[in-house]
Amino acid sequence: MNHRQSEPGQDGRSASRDNIPSLDAAAFESLVLQADGPIAVEFMSYSCAYCGAMEPVLQQVAQTLRSREPIFRVNVAVEVDLASAYAIQGTPTLIMFSEGQEVGRSEGLAPDVATVLEAVTAPFGKS
Amino acid sequence: MMDAASASPGPRPATPILLFDDECAVCRRMARWVQRVARSSAGVPTVDVRPIGEDPEALRRLDPTLDIWKVYAKSHLLMPDGSILIAGEAVAEVFRRSPGMAWCAWLFSVQVFKVRPFQSLLDLGYVILSDVRPIFGCKSCGAPALWARPFAWIVKTARRLFGRKAHPAHRPNFTPLAASGEAKPRPPPAP
Repeated sequence: MNHRQSEPGQDGRSASRDNIPSLDAAAFESLVLQADGPIAVEFMSYSCAYCGAMEPVLQQVAQTLRSREPIFRVNVAVEVDLASAYAIQGTPTLIMFSEGQEVGRSEGLAPDVATVLEAVTAPFGKS
Repeated sequence: MMDAASASPGPRPATPILLFDDECAVCRRMARWVQRVARSSAGVPTVDVRPIGEDPEALRRLDPTLDIWKVYAKSHLLMPDGSILIAGEAVAEVFRRSPGMAWCAWLFSVQVFKVRPFQSLLDLGYVILSDVRPIFGCKSCGAPALWARPFAWIVKTARRLFGRKAHPAHRPNFTPLAASGEAKPRPPPAP
């Protein structure tokens, strides 16, 4: 298993455009489960066309929420145990965390900014 | 006129590298076919067929300009000279490099008034095949293109009528994980 957190720009996007760091299991533990504030994690796979369609939208949402709510990415094809631990049924699945606890989940969202923004902020009671 | 996306500064192997989507059943079949036909008379592969995989960094080691999302969207052929051929251009080059298909590969270079009619037909065929992949069981390829949805409905109905098990209905915008990925219970809430 790959134990690293990618820097912005490490998964196919230019550094200026990638607002969604990829997490492995260790980084997930420290940056999501041990974090306090609201966090959204996209469980995805590069081979999933729906994830590809959602990517630019999620980038835009991540840019918008940058200071308030970080968004991370977990590749379910690599982090199989994490996907299994969170009972991921398919991709893309967004799980929202607060103080390390899951507080919301959205699966197969329509790839538009309003829908995704609503999905990642609604569990925290702000828009 | 090649659809070269970019030029790579790094050296490449002498054999072109064809990257294919290993999650897509149609692409896997195509890749197997290329592996079969793209061989010299001595049996040496003339095209190196590789799955794209899930590691963007591994792709960038092949060529720093490769974007994994774009590579999954269309076939990429990495040429020894550093150029990258995409979609129909990649298919045409695979034909040129396949001794068994060389008899028709020259057609794709035929030019009439600055237009390559056979290459255009191949490009169209590529788009059509790409659009209908979900009908043929590619769960990760997304929904069929709008124009192909009636055909998807016909195939699904025919399977139902003639006894073949239909593919499970797709939820919109969602790719179900393989059945092998059995879900374990979620971790208990922290105290």
